[in-house]
Amino acid sequence: MERTANIPLAAWPFARPADRTRVSARLFAALLVASACVSAALASWLPLQVSIVTVFLFAGPHNWFELRYFLMRLPARMGRSRNFFAVAFAGIGVLTLGYLALPALYYTNVWSGENWPLAIATWNTLLLLWLAALVILRGRQNSSRDWSWALPAAFGLCAVNWLAPDLFSLAIVYLHPLVALWFLDRHLRRTRSEWLRTYRRCLLLLPLLMAGMFWQLSGTPSLADDNGLAWRITQHAGGQLLPNVSTHLLVSMHVFLEMLHYGVWIIALPLIGATGAIWSTKTIPLARRHGGFPKFIAAILICSLFVVAVLWMGFTVNYAATRDLYFAVAMAHVLAEAPFLLRMI
Amino acid sequence: MKRTLILSTAICALLASAIYAFGDIARPKPTPVEGKTIFYTGLTVVPDSKSYEARLQISQETLKRIQAAGANNGGPASVVQGVMHSSTRTIMAGLFMFLAVSFAGVWFARSSQRRNHKAVAAVLLIAVFFGIATVIVRANAGPPGYIRWQNLPQALKDGKATSGGLNIEIVAGDENIKLIIPLRNTPKQGEE
Repeated sequence: MERTANIPLAAWPFARPADRTRVSARLFAALLVASACVSAALASWLPLQVSIVTVFLFAGPHNWFELRYFLMRLPARMGRSRNFFAVAFAGIGVLTLGYLALPALYYTNVWSGENWPLAIATWNTLLLLWLAALVILRGRQNSSRDWSWALPAAFGLCAVNWLAPDLFSLAIVYLHPLVALWFLDRHLRRTRSEWLRTYRRCLLLLPLLMAGMFWQLSGTPSLADDNGLAWRITQHAGGQLLPNVSTHLLVSMHVFLEMLHYGVWIIALPLIGATGAIWSTKTIPLARRHGGFPKFIAAILICSLFVVAVLWMGFTVNYAATRDLYFAVAMAHVLAEAPFLLRMI
Repeated sequence: MKRTLILSTAICALLASAIYAFGDIARPKPTPVEGKTIFYTGLTVVPDSKSYEARLQISQETLKRIQAAGANNGGPASVVQGVMHSSTRTIMAGLFMFLAVSFAGVWFARSSQRRNHKAVAAVLLIAVFFGIATVIVRANAGPPGYIRWQNLPQALKDGKATSGGLNIEIVAGDENIKLIIPLRNTPKQGEE
């Protein structure tokens, strides 16, 4: 019998684990680069149309995937993390309600438009202080960490926020999609560490693509926002706050980042197994533990699927109004990312 | 009692006369409404001995920008303008700046105790970087806008063009277009 070591492996594609890893990492990198390039090209070419289509198709499903992911990351028993999650959920609730109340109070003439920056600045301050509290609480869970720098950093950001509250809010709009890339980095480190270096190299492409978009689109005329929907999209991307910047560039950049965000949550994280089998509740600790709530968790996920369907119906009936409503309510998922990301660090 | 009554009557009469006296004071002049700056651009004043009418030439691109800025009601105020016109925001920004520096100092001292040299070095490096950047920026700050208009009278006499910065303001009313040039009266030699 021939020794296994002497059997030629050339005929067996990717027979060695190292080769398999290298090839899968290459495939992963190729997918990442292709996705980023196609997203940038589409966002630059037809920003308004692509914005409408991507939000219609992916806004709801990506929230469902995020909800499933957060349920999976929620520990079965809080233990030492009880205070952390108490502060996290209280903050998510209060800040989301506050965010929803801002336009409601404005439209009911409780305050004038002149006080709008003060209201925004106050909300941003609460957000920053909440984040600082979460960072400090998370730091205390490990005695080797000293994360007390979070407080002066938060106060410094609060000062910047009070100088330009509108621009600070706009910065959140642009930075939020990038948080998904951080989640992916953390998960690759845990589950596919051999891909991590490739992934980080691919991330270098992001500033290059953004610089290329800026170079190509900064001189283009602004988009025609003569209808309500186009106006909403350009305003969301900061058209009014940055009047000297082409709205074509702003909308394209925002759509590009949003597409990356949706891609990570809907495709990349489920593919590497970060969200578990999406039809199974066994990967969710709250459902799996002894005396857990499998039916309740399943009900939450099924109801969320109905909400996604309702969102699609809303987009079909009145896209502009549903889009406004969605981006107001979606603040909850933006906030929820913070504590779960901190748990990953 | 009688004395008090007379004194009270006299004071009331004095106060009543004061009201009449104030009634004769002319109404204060309405403070002129400050124009709202909507756009910043450049202006070149060119004397032309062959023209019969003064002309205002605006490039198409500039006109578009002015239209956009006007339609936008001046657009959002800049960060500096916003802070200048909102004492609440200035106070809050200052308060948080104070808190940031204070807590950073505490953290810095604690980090030093733990001999976290890398963090201390990073903070110092950032502080030095910002300090140097501030010095460089301040050192390269341009001269005030009016400097460029100081030679306008002489340039007009010589028939030369003069260029400088220009804020386009929208003011209330229906008056002619007004060009306000920031000329400073500089003492001539021998006047001191």
